[in-house]
Amino acid sequence: MFIAKRRTVVTVAAVAAVLLAGALAVTLTQGSGQASGVTYVDGNNAQRVYTVGHRPLAPDFTASSLTGTRISLASYRGKAVVLNFWGSWCPPCRAEAPTLAVLAEQYRSQDVSFLGDDVGDTTANALAFTHDIGITYPSVNDANYSIVQEFSQVVPVGYTPTTVVIDPTGHIAGLVIGPVTYQGMTTILHDVAASR
Amino acid sequence: MTDVHTPRESVAAGGEATESFGITGTGPDSTGTGGGTGASAGWLRWGWRQLTSMRTALVLLFLLALGSVPGSVLPQQGSDPAAVQQYFTSHPALAPWLNHLGLFNVFAAPWFAAIYLLLFTSLVGCVVPRTFRLAGSARTPPPRAPRNLSRLPQSASFSSGLAPAAAVDAAAAMLGGQRFRLRRPASGDSGHWVSAEKGYLREVGNLLFHLALLGVLVSIALGGLFGYKADKLLVEGQGFSDTMAALDEFHPGRLVSGSDLAPFSLTLDRFSASYITSGQSRGQPSDFDAHVTYTASPGAPSKTYDIRINDPLSVDSLKVYLIGHGYAPVFKVTDAHGNVDYDEATPFIPANTGTFMSDGVVKAPDASLGFMGVFVPTAVSVGGTLESVFPAADFPAVSLIGYSGNLGMNSVASQSVYQLDTNGLTKIAGSPRLMLPGQTWTLPGGRGSVTFVGVKQWVSLAITYDPGQVPALVCGILALGGLLLSFLVRRRRVFVRAAPAASGTGSVVTIGGLARTDASGSFEDEFAALAAELADSTGAARPPEADGSPGAAEQKREPKNQSEAGA
Repeated sequence: MFIAKRRTVVTVAAVAAVLLAGALAVTLTQGSGQASGVTYVDGNNAQRVYTVGHRPLAPDFTASSLTGTRISLASYRGKAVVLNFWGSWCPPCRAEAPTLAVLAEQYRSQDVSFLGDDVGDTTANALAFTHDIGITYPSVNDANYSIVQEFSQVVPVGYTPTTVVIDPTGHIAGLVIGPVTYQGMTTILHDVAASR
Repeated sequence: MTDVHTPRESVAAGGEATESFGITGTGPDSTGTGGGTGASAGWLRWGWRQLTSMRTALVLLFLLALGSVPGSVLPQQGSDPAAVQQYFTSHPALAPWLNHLGLFNVFAAPWFAAIYLLLFTSLVGCVVPRTFRLAGSARTPPPRAPRNLSRLPQSASFSSGLAPAAAVDAAAAMLGGQRFRLRRPASGDSGHWVSAEKGYLREVGNLLFHLALLGVLVSIALGGLFGYKADKLLVEGQGFSDTMAALDEFHPGRLVSGSDLAPFSLTLDRFSASYITSGQSRGQPSDFDAHVTYTASPGAPSKTYDIRINDPLSVDSLKVYLIGHGYAPVFKVTDAHGNVDYDEATPFIPANTGTFMSDGVVKAPDASLGFMGVFVPTAVSVGGTLESVFPAADFPAVSLIGYSGNLGMNSVASQSVYQLDTNGLTKIAGSPRLMLPGQTWTLPGGRGSVTFVGVKQWVSLAITYDPGQVPALVCGILALGGLLLSFLVRRRRVFVRAAPAASGTGSVVTIGGLARTDASGSFEDEFAALAAELADSTGAARPPEADGSPGAAEQKREPKNQSEAGA
C-alpha cells in the first residue's frame, strides 16, 4: 500500500515536472524579452535601432527598377539607405508614402538615399501611385517577394509596409514595422548618423 | 540465465499484475490519514487516479471527437474566414452565440485545448507508470515451481533412470536450449526443480506499444510547436517566395518565427481545369492541373511540377496543396488624362461553384475609380439577366458598376481587396455595363476608361509544414507492431520436479505447464511435445503419462483447459 502510494506521488511529480518544463521552455523560447543590441524608439517595439556590433549585414540584391534600370544595393555603400518595402495595393503603404517623400527630400543633402522595394504589384499600378504622390526616389520591382524573403532571414520583415535603415557599411541599423512616422524616422536616422 | 532476483509477489502467484486502470467510483482511501492535509492528499490522489483511469481517457477521447464535429460542420475562421463572414450574414441571430462558444474556431477554443490537455495528461499519467511496470515484468524471473505440479492445467509424469538432481539438470539443459528463461532452487531451497518461462516478447511488444503511444503524442505536440499552415492565392504568371509578408494567411506553430520558413519560391505558369461536357454530370470537374515552376532555395536550380488535387508538391519537407481556383479578369483603367493607372489581373471569387459566376472589385485609387463586377465564364442572357451556363471560360463576359471618388485607400486602416466601400462614391451613369474581352467602356464626364483585356485563372494554394507527421507515422506503425506482438506471443511456464523413485534407483519426474495468456489454446500441443522431449533428455524408462486429474479450479486460467487438460 505504502509503495503504491509513493509510486503515485512520484508519477504525479514526474508528470507535473515534465508539463512545467514544457511550459517554461515554450515561454522562454518565445522571446518575449528584448534582444540584446536592440533599442526600441519611444518604447515602441515596431521601431527598432540596432547598436553598432549588433547590426545584421543586409543581403545584397540587384534588380530592375520600375522604370527598367538595374539597381544594386551594393552600389549604395558609403551612404545610409532607407529601404521601404511597399505595394500600391496596401493602404498603410499609401498612407506613409507622403512622409517618406518629404524625408527623402530633407535627407538628400545628408548622404541618405531612399529606395523602394515594390512587392506583389504591377509596374503600371506602382508607377501610377508614385507619380500621384510625387515620390522621386527609385523602387525595385519585387513582385514575387524574393528580396523580402532574403531580408526576412536577418530581420523581421513579415509585414507590408516595413522600412529598413542600412548604415554606410551595409549593415542594418534600424527597422520600422508598419507605417513610418516622421518623428520615428528622424530619431532612427539621427542615431545612425551619430554612430558613424 | 538463472535470475537471482526475488520475483514480485503478484507475478510469483502466477497471476497478471493488477492494473491501475478502471479504479473508478470509489472515494479516496482515508484510512491511515490523519487531519486535513492527509484528507486533501487523499482526495488529490483519488482525483489523479480518476484522471489517469482508462475510463476517463476514453471519455476524453470521445469528447475530443465530439468537439471536432462542429469544426467540420461549421465554417472555421482559420481555414475559411470568408465563409464565417457569410454565415454571420445568413444567420444573424445564431452566429453570435456560436461565436461566443468558440465554434467558429474550434481547434483554438479554450474548451478544446482543455480537453486536449486533460487527455494528454491522462494518457501520460496512465502510460508512464504502466511502462515502468511492463519493464519490470519483462525482467522478472519465473516463479518457483509449485509443490504439486499435477494441479496445473497441463501436467505429465514419468520415471527416469537418472538420479533426481541429474534428471533436473538434464531437463534444465534441454529447456535452456529452447531459450526458456530458467530458475533453479536457491541455496536453502529444498527439492530438485527447475522453473522455465518463455514468451517475454509479449511484454516487449506491450512496452513498445505504450512507448509508441507516447511517441504519437509527442509527435502531435511537435507539429503544433514547429509546424505551420499558410494560404496563398496566385494568378497565372504570378509568383511568390515563401515568406510571411507574401502569404495571405499564416498560421504558425507556437515556436515558429518568420525566419523559420522554408526559403522556396514558386511561380504559377498556367492552370487548367477540365469539365465534363455532356451527359448527366455536365459541368462537373474532371481534372485540375496547376503547372508550376519552383526553386527549393534562392539560387537553386528551378524545377517544374503539376500540382493536382491529392497530388501536392513536396519541397523541402513541406507540402503545397491545390485547394481552390477561380477566374481573374484582366482590367486596364485609365484616368481623365489618359494615363494607365491600373493594369492587373483581378481575382474574382466564385459565388456559384457550379457555374463559376464570380464577384469581384477593381480599385484604381490613383484614377479615383472603383468598379464592382460580376464575371460569367459562359454567358447567356436569361430574360435580360446575365447568367453562366458552364464553368469553363467558353464565352466570358463581365458586368461592371462604376463608381468615382476617393476610395479611401490612402489611410492606415487596411481594407479587403474583395470589397468596395461605396460610401462617398458617385455611381457612374451607364452602369451596369456588360463587356466582352477586348471591349473598352469610355466613362461619361471625361472620367477615363476601363478595358476588359482578357481572362486569366487563379489558384489557391495551401502550404503545410508538419514536422510531427513522419514521427507520428513511425510511432503509429511501431504501436501496431507492438500490439500485434503482444497479441500473438503468449507467455508460458513449464515446471519440472524430480523426486527419488520408491524403488530407490532413478527418479519420478513430474512436469507442469501453464500458459499465462492462451488465447489460441495451442499450448497443449506445445506442452505435449515438450514433455516428450524432456522424457527423452532425462532418460525416461517409459513415455510420459498425461495426468488425468484436472487441477484445482482456482489454478485454472482457461476453463476449457479443465476438460482438455493433459490431452
